[in-house]
Amino acid sequence: MSNTNPPSPSTGSRTETFTCVRCGRTVGAFTPDGLRRNHCPSCLHSRHVHDHVEGGPSECLSRMSPISIAVPRDGDWKVIHRCTRCDELTANRVQVDDNQLILMRLAVRPLAQPPFPLEVFGEL
Amino acid sequence: MPRRNPASADRRVQRRKERVPRGDAFRCAGCRADVPFHAPGTAHRNHCPQCLTSLHVDRRVPGDRAAGCGGRMEALSLSTRPDGEWLLIHHCLVCGELSANRIAGDDNPLVLLRMAVRPLSDSRVPARAMLVL
Repeated sequence: MSNTNPPSPSTGSRTETFTCVRCGRTVGAFTPDGLRRNHCPSCLHSRHVHDHVEGGPSECLSRMSPISIAVPRDGDWKVIHRCTRCDELTANRVQVDDNQLILMRLAVRPLAQPPFPLEVFGEL
Repeated sequence: MPRRNPASADRRVQRRKERVPRGDAFRCAGCRADVPFHAPGTAHRNHCPQCLTSLHVDRRVPGDRAAGCGGRMEALSLSTRPDGEWLLIHHCLVCGELSANRIAGDDNPLVLLRMAVRPLSDSRVPARAMLVL
């Protein structure tokens, strides 16, 4: 949850856990494939502990909610988090055991409320 | 002793929305189109309506011109506000900074829709979501 740095399972204990700030679930700090977790796998919420502008730890420590899914041309999906207190945005990789239903909900949410009628696109 | 004026002390400094631009249009950094500053539906146009490319000139407040980067920003994904407004998430190709901006009324709907369906056109994760059910 705390880190976006490259995975280094050797530096921390493999049994390290954290408690999700939103759903209260206790989750292991590492995924099954040995990467360090940044967000809760069941509700995808994170915590603002890393300052991306200046680097180093952030003093905000607020909850970060997932707002969108980014699909780069190469590589894995990313979750865009927004801090609920200071509006900072971060992008983090989707892990293998993340809740797929919440990921899909984030992905289809723009299409559920389109700003223009989508019927026109059927004729194209 | 300085005069105390409580009425002016707790007045919130308003976000400056009107920036005086040179001319009435800017040139897109991605497709070189001339884009007028005036946009339907928003006072904060920051991206090209055709290719959705932006420039990294503002930091947190629209129009503050406080970012020293100046790099090109590409549209990364679409997000939705609770009231249904679409937001574009840009990321800077130079420094990796992310920013969010509401879409404008004249943004190209085909390009926007292509960004919206991009997660669904990837076959891996929807298939996994169906397996969960």
